[in-house]
Amino acid sequence: MKKSSIVGLVVIAIAISVIIATYSKSSTYGSFSDARQTTEELRVVGQLDKAKELYYDATKDANYFSFFVKDNKGEECKVIFTGTKPQDFEKSEQIVLTGKMTGKEFHASYILMKCPSKYTKDKIEVTEAKAKTAEI
Amino acid sequence: MDMVYKGEHLLPGELGKVFVILSFGAALLSAISYYFAATNTDKLDKSWLRMARIAYRINTISILGVGVQLFYILYNNYFEYHYAWSYTSRSLPVYYLVSGFWNGQEGGFLLWTFWQAVLGNVLISRAGSWEKPVMSVVALSQVVLATMLLGIDVFGARLGSSPFLLLRESGIEAPIFKQADYLSYIKDGQGMNPLLQNYWMIIHPPTLFLGLASVVVPFAYAIAGLWQRRYKEWINQAIPYALFASLILGVGVIMGSLWAYESLNFGGFWAWDPVENASIFPWLTLIGGLHVMIVYKNSGHSYFTATLLVLISFILVLYTSFLSRSGVLGETSVHAFTDLGMFSQLVTYILIFLVLSVWLLVSRWKEMPISKKDEETYSREFWMFVGAVFLGLSCFHLVFITSIPVWNKAFGTKIAPPIDLVGHYNVIQGAFAMVITILTGFTQFLKYKKTDVTRFFITTLIYFALAAAITVLVGYLTGLYKLHFVFMLVLFGSVYAFLANGQVLVDALKGKFKLAGSAVAHIGFALMLIGALISAGTREVVSQTDGAGINIPGFDKASGMGSPRENIMIYKNEPKRMGKFMITYLGDSVAAPNRYFKVNYKELDDKGKVVDEFLLKPNVLTNPQMGSEPSPVPATKHYLFHDLYTHVTALPVATAKNPNTGDAQAAADHGQENDETLYDEPVPHQVGVGDTIRYRDGYIVLKSLSREVQVQNIPLGPNDAAIGANLEVVAHDRTFKAAPVYMIKNKAVLTFPRKVDDAGLKLALTKIIPNENKVEIMVYQQPLNKRPYIVMRALDFPFINLLWAGTVIMIIGFILSISRRNKELKTTSAVKAQSVAENA
Repeated sequence: MKKSSIVGLVVIAIAISVIIATYSKSSTYGSFSDARQTTEELRVVGQLDKAKELYYDATKDANYFSFFVKDNKGEECKVIFTGTKPQDFEKSEQIVLTGKMTGKEFHASYILMKCPSKYTKDKIEVTEAKAKTAEI
Repeated sequence: MDMVYKGEHLLPGELGKVFVILSFGAALLSAISYYFAATNTDKLDKSWLRMARIAYRINTISILGVGVQLFYILYNNYFEYHYAWSYTSRSLPVYYLVSGFWNGQEGGFLLWTFWQAVLGNVLISRAGSWEKPVMSVVALSQVVLATMLLGIDVFGARLGSSPFLLLRESGIEAPIFKQADYLSYIKDGQGMNPLLQNYWMIIHPPTLFLGLASVVVPFAYAIAGLWQRRYKEWINQAIPYALFASLILGVGVIMGSLWAYESLNFGGFWAWDPVENASIFPWLTLIGGLHVMIVYKNSGHSYFTATLLVLISFILVLYTSFLSRSGVLGETSVHAFTDLGMFSQLVTYILIFLVLSVWLLVSRWKEMPISKKDEETYSREFWMFVGAVFLGLSCFHLVFITSIPVWNKAFGTKIAPPIDLVGHYNVIQGAFAMVITILTGFTQFLKYKKTDVTRFFITTLIYFALAAAITVLVGYLTGLYKLHFVFMLVLFGSVYAFLANGQVLVDALKGKFKLAGSAVAHIGFALMLIGALISAGTREVVSQTDGAGINIPGFDKASGMGSPRENIMIYKNEPKRMGKFMITYLGDSVAAPNRYFKVNYKELDDKGKVVDEFLLKPNVLTNPQMGSEPSPVPATKHYLFHDLYTHVTALPVATAKNPNTGDAQAAADHGQENDETLYDEPVPHQVGVGDTIRYRDGYIVLKSLSREVQVQNIPLGPNDAAIGANLEVVAHDRTFKAAPVYMIKNKAVLTFPRKVDDAGLKLALTKIIPNENKVEIMVYQQPLNKRPYIVMRALDFPFINLLWAGTVIMIIGFILSISRRNKELKTTSAVKAQSVAENA
């Protein structure tokens, strides 16, 4: 057999193992009730409940931020993040949390926010501009 | 009814649209003409070629026209155009208008098509007999890019997105557009995202786009080679262009990470964000392709691998553009663009070139000069081939994971990327890096065709032992050995590659100087990896605070970006210990849109003696128009062997309850008596001259009392009296002076308190007690949580300069290689011309 064919086989083997390794490590997007049933970290997709308090007080603890998130199944849960409040957090449309449930609270180690798309934002800004014209 | 709008400047937009359409038409004509020129059997008929060239030049000029019109609109603040309104504002300095230019996706495509136009013109003058087929491909790509800017409706579907869209046509609904004079209400644009107001944003996008655009040249040569059945020749021609593309693309990517390091706050230079990953897909395959092209040139092996990798590289450029612009990465990336409705158009772009490549590979399969002979095991060509394949594999892994959202969309699955994504990438890509660096090392000791095996093994092993010794030493000193073992292996591979290529460089300097290029580039690459490995792997969070604060059980195990307890809160003028530093937040200054926070650092040795003192000014950028919260920008103290990187992570929020941010403070200063709420219950102290008042942060000394005091604009009558108390406040080793005044005017008592803001104090002289020779000083203290503070995070990146130095060295290596390959091309073509002449 040609050496390059051997290399080819090795490559295919590595490629397959990469796929398997990734697949076994990959997680799924879950809900808070999924999180309650596992001790592993997982990702939860949801929305920030803007009606409830976002708590961050640097004078008490600069590394404690808590808020409430409603997951895609409609369940709401308190989330704690050991860090500062991410920039423009209140504006997020969707939040992807990585973390796990501890007691009744979800402890997030990583937060990814999806901010409003440019076109929705445009709409808001222009209505503001309109409010100004009304004054004149 | 058609409305006649007032005050709009429609001409530049109309002209711009005409230029866009002209650029599309000219590119199409050029592509067709080049195709016929390339397939024309009548060698003397130059009419197609002439037409193709003229059309291509018209395309170039129209693109310049589009650029000029767009710049004119931005420069004159014509906010009736959506592009100007979205990305610029009146206050934006002119040099940032340049980055406003490529702020939007349309500008990105414009930049891309501009570079492709430039490259096309270079090819017209340099490609010689290759011009017709190569330019057919480039012009075709130019056609597709032009469609991205069209912004016209074809059969109900929108084709492209025009940079000349008017605000009122952009789909934004607002009642003001019902008024003819709507423009008079639009005073200013949205302004540029403050994070992009950075000098790196002026040079990084053009460099990256030049890199991406130039991948089309080796691709076009590969296609032309297959199409015209000039299988062997295209490789030599394409090598310098492939080198150029790899160089510029690599530099563009590194510039992006420098920008991230200098001005973003994720705390590093690489975050494995999908958009970042996408930018190195084509780089990896092109570097692989480049190596096997050289293998083919020198040994006749690896023809198919070279062709395949070059073709894939360009397809990956298109795929990169698809990933970052189609909105598909929404759930995994922080900085992907949103969908502009061009999803299917981007997919079509990929398919056109994918189908073309596959079709040519399949139809020419039997004719390709694939060597039947096996490579020697101890030959350079075999191991270079293996290295190229591993580069391809590394790219495959990146593509596979980064594309998870694409798989989800295609197969309707809901797979999320691995939880510890960064760790996953680091370990797997680390393993590939180890293999590649070791190959980069020992392959240099092999010769093409056949090598003396004994000598090879001796040299290889000596360097292996040396590299192992250095790795152990470096790994131990930097603490890298504490991490996953893969990183020690990468360190070993990189040190080995550095040493082996160092040997080659020394030999090259002795004589065979033309070999220096690759050695220098490999040395640079090895240094880059060592720098990245040590600085990212052993970076230390200096601001880590443990235990204190609200205790959350079971939380310390959390890791990743939101690692616990990395932030430190410091009150103004209250020194705090942070690692080996004593830091003090001294105050802030505003230079819009920046607000700088002065933080003094005193580096202390074990005995608490100050060994170094410096000031860092991390800032936050605000853009009121965008209505977003301030974006932090880091400040970094650069040392030769490490960097101290700091950024503000939280600031007090101005609310009615807590009015202690800048503006509220200023308001309080003026509204003298209304600021009682800012202070705790005052404490009276009865003191004589020379007495000391202790308070929470230090002490206050009554130095003297004086009768010669003046209070502004208040003349004293004969029966009036005024007494000033000269106080010295010492807070945290800093001394302040204050002189509150007690006044009797027209038998009424007036007190004039004085503030010492930096110490969070207000002092008043409220009573004179002549019998005891004492006075009463009222001390108002600001409660702790109402004092100004900042929250920040500080990281230490050891040996990060190796990363930047390695980059520069790699650039030098690439430039040396390009000049060598260019010379070779000239000599071979000269030799060929000579032999042709002799034969004739």
